[in-house]
Formats: sequence, C-alpha cells, structure tokens
Amino acid sequence: MDTSPILSIFLPVIFAVFLASFTLYIVRIVKGPTVFDMALAVDCLAFDLAVFIALLSLYYDTPFLIAGAIALALWAYILDLYISKYFLTKELGGHK
Amino acid sequence: MLEPLEYMILALGMVLVAIGAFCDLAGALGMVRFPNFFVRLHAATVGSIGGAVIPLIGVALIASVSDQLGFFKWAISGGALVAALIILLVAPAGSHALAYSAHKSRAVPVEPKVCDLLEEHERAKAQRKVGEKGEEA
Repeated sequence: MDTSPILSIFLPVIFAVFLASFTLYIVRIVKGPTVFDMALAVDCLAFDLAVFIALLSLYYDTPFLIAGAIALALWAYILDLYISKYFLTKELGGHK
Repeated sequence: MLEPLEYMILALGMVLVAIGAFCDLAGALGMVRFPNFFVRLHAATVGSIGGAVIPLIGVALIASVSDQLGFFKWAISGGALVAALIILLVAPAGSHALAYSAHKSRAVPVEPKVCDLLEEHERAKAQRKVGEKGEEA
C-alpha cells in the first residue's frame, strides 16, 4: 500500500523532535566539563543521527541513505573504546 | 486482502517511532540537566536504546509495508534492522567502558555523592596489600 500521504504528515513532526534533541546534545558537547561527558553526548548524537538518516530515507523514498546509518552506529563505539583505553593506560598501542 | 494487517503494521511502526522520539527528547533533557557524568550515563542509555533502537525497529516495520518504494523497501527494512541490532549490542558496551575508565582514572569527580562503594573497596584492597608487604618485611 502507498504510505506516503500518512508519512508526509507524520515524519516532519518526528523530525522536529529529533532536531530539538540534537540541539540539547550539542549544548552538552560544547559545555561538557570533562572529555567523558563530551564522548557520551557524541555517542548519543551519532546513534540519533543514524535514526534520523533512516527516517530521511523513508521521507525521500530512497534506499541509498540507509547504508550510512550502519556506519554511524559503529564509529561511536570505536570512539568510546579509544577514549577509555587512553585514559586507563595513557597510550594507544603505539611505540612507547 | 492483506490491507488490515498492513495498516496494523504501519500503526505499530509509527507508534514505535513516536515512542523513540519521546525517549530521545527525555534523554537529551537529562543529558543537559543532570549534575554529573555518572548520572548522565542513565540519560545516555535512555537516549541510545529508547531513542535509537526502538525507532529503527519502527522504521523497519514502516518500510516493509511501503509499496511506493518498490523492491527497495526490503533494503531499507533490513538495513534499519541491522543498524538496530548493532546499536543494541554496542551502546551498553561503549557506555560501560567509558564509565569504567572514568572511575578508574579518576578523571571525573564523583560529586555530588551519597556513597562510593567501589572507591571504598579499592581503598580497602590497597590497604590490605600494604599490610601484607609490611608483614613480609
């Protein structure tokens, strides 16, 4: 069935909510007193951006945007692991 | 013939996306308002599991009944499901690693706090080690 008439009303409302929460996360990234707060906010921002891209691919009827969502879901985890490893050992596995 | 079932799937997907948007806004508000890093971890988990995994499952449901996408509706549906699964596995592990290293490296002050049992445990372990060394010497 053709869902575009319903989605063209429903999705912009959801986009507004997501953009508001992006703004709040960016406030925490800019203000964040420590690196860990910034990393946590970047984490949430990346996961939400993945959802936003998936919703955009529904809105614009194109399947090519969804590949970006999977990559966005992965790199925030790598950022977490590198930051926590650096703060625990003060090195990242290079030459000492 | 399948019309009623498709409408139900569409409604379920839209409800999941709406729940996700609410959880995301709640998580973002908590991220700004909460007092320290260890409390903000709670908001971050609400924002990543409630605000990312659940709407991605909703997107997968919506895409699977959207015939205007043609054959590619299965690409969007499967991609959204895979992204939801990856976030479900990865977000708790990442925030746990951050919390562990933040407490271990003492880069984040635990303030305001009622009690910090992990810190007391570490201090007791260090004292025991010093005591054992003293007995050997």
